[in-house]
Amino acid sequence: MTAEPALVQKVTIRDLKFFYGDTQALKAISLPLYEHKVTAFIGPSGCGKSTLLRVLNRMYDLYPRQRAEGEVLLDGDDILAPTTDINLLRSRIGMVFQKPTPFPMSIYDNIAFGIKLYERLTKSELDQRVEGALRSAALWDEVKDKLKSSGLSLSGGQQQRLCIARTVAIQPEVILLDEPASALDPISTAKIEELIDELSAHYTIAVVTHNMQQAARVSDYTAFMYLGSLVEFGETPKIFTAPQQKQTQDYITGRFG
Amino acid sequence: MAVITMNSSDVGPKALATTRAAAVRGFRRGDRIFRLVTFAAALSVLVILCGVMLSLLFGAWPALRTFGFGFFIHATWNPVKDVFGALAAIYGTLVTSVLAMLLAVPVSFGIAVFLTELCPWWLRRPIGIAVELLAGIPSIIYGIWGLFVFLPFVQSVIQPFLINLFAPIPVLNILFAGPPYGIGTFSAAFILAIMVVPFITAVTRDVFETVPAVLKEAAYGIGATRLEVVRRVVIPYTRTGLVGGVMLGLGRALGETMAVTFVIGNAHAISSSLLAPGTTISAVIANEFNEATDPMYISSLIALGLILFFITFVVLAISRLLLMRIEDAEAK
Repeated sequence: MTAEPALVQKVTIRDLKFFYGDTQALKAISLPLYEHKVTAFIGPSGCGKSTLLRVLNRMYDLYPRQRAEGEVLLDGDDILAPTTDINLLRSRIGMVFQKPTPFPMSIYDNIAFGIKLYERLTKSELDQRVEGALRSAALWDEVKDKLKSSGLSLSGGQQQRLCIARTVAIQPEVILLDEPASALDPISTAKIEELIDELSAHYTIAVVTHNMQQAARVSDYTAFMYLGSLVEFGETPKIFTAPQQKQTQDYITGRFG
Repeated sequence: MAVITMNSSDVGPKALATTRAAAVRGFRRGDRIFRLVTFAAALSVLVILCGVMLSLLFGAWPALRTFGFGFFIHATWNPVKDVFGALAAIYGTLVTSVLAMLLAVPVSFGIAVFLTELCPWWLRRPIGIAVELLAGIPSIIYGIWGLFVFLPFVQSVIQPFLINLFAPIPVLNILFAGPPYGIGTFSAAFILAIMVVPFITAVTRDVFETVPAVLKEAAYGIGATRLEVVRRVVIPYTRTGLVGGVMLGLGRALGETMAVTFVIGNAHAISSSLLAPGTTISAVIANEFNEATDPMYISSLIALGLILFFITFVVLAISRLLLMRIEDAEAK
């Protein structure tokens, strides 16, 4: 038996509050995201899971009257600070959305677009990176003969893996997945889950899901949120077998939510 | 009343079936009438279009028979000798419109991008409304403003600047050769550009707003800047609509009459310089219909109208073709 390497807090969320205009959507959330671990966020709709993810890459910045208070540290630096370069931040913290969002361009360009934003590569280096990204998203074999066709021509499950490949291609440190499998059939879902497992070797992953079994299957840590508050956070087996809070137990056993 | 209601709700299943059948027959009759009325409305479009085309052809026939194909390739327009050629007007129409689009399209796209992607929220409505108001200004006002306010400025500032700027550059020094008259093809194109900007902007903004927020977020999510999101995601996603907006503007530029008539100079001449006076089809018709008493003169003016009809038709057809090609390419 090898000893588990020490846990490193890749992201530290401290006392995070979030507001949509006058409505408070997150109430003083504090929790860590451990490096190279998968953290699942569960809870009923509207509990603030997706909002929390959107704070982590400051997606809320695109919209007026949305603001965050508190601290979110990435490797010790506060990403909520006004001095943070948002584009750089988003290249370090990638995001995959609930619905597949391929760009209106070829499969190849969908991947290459993000890489070319930050790196000057030769054609062959770029080809390698695209292939590598598609392989790590388990999509390469399905699309290698049609890299020039539109990303929109793929099936829903393939599109979602394309989006994951696109995120992986820019080599982020953290990957945020917002219900990545909720619009997919069971086979595609299984593929995405396998993928999350493989990716966790290299990336710190946060995944929002409505599917209890999925959370139990893919994650190392689970956070249960309710009405904008963090109810319980802990190792996934503990949360699912011996939750400390009554609310958590009620939710995972399907008694409410 | 209450008693009747009670009774009718008490009818047996058989009676109910009969009343239902009657009601359905009623629906069917109503449906048929509705269908006929809407069909007639749709048909009227075709009838009117054919009517316009036929009367244009009829009216233009004497001129086309007399001058033949020469009507399209000669620039002579001499009412005194009854010799008419449409080339100067066709040339002027095409050049002013194309030049106007060259000026207007980049500006319109810029406004639309700013409004949908960059503008602070409190400024969006005022600018949006201003653009719409600009579209609502009657063209005669653009004409008067162009003649009395804009032209003196063009003559004293813009044209001398252009003439000096391009003087040492071959080709361009011919296109922008002096003297600065003020009136002319360039001024007309400039006014046209101002007039079509709101139309193109309005359409462009609307199609930009159809881009799903999550798609833009995905692009921002991999670290793209606003320029990159617009260039690589928003514009490719809305290509079809953009072509439509540009064509709408072009259609308006081709047919615009009043403002152009005021500032173009109304000279039946093809000049190598864009600054020289010229004319357009609609300007000729508007200017000369009053004084046209000779049948051949009138017929020639109607023939001009036919040509304009044809040009706008071709523009529409080309835009349709473009849209189909784009859609085909996307389907692959």
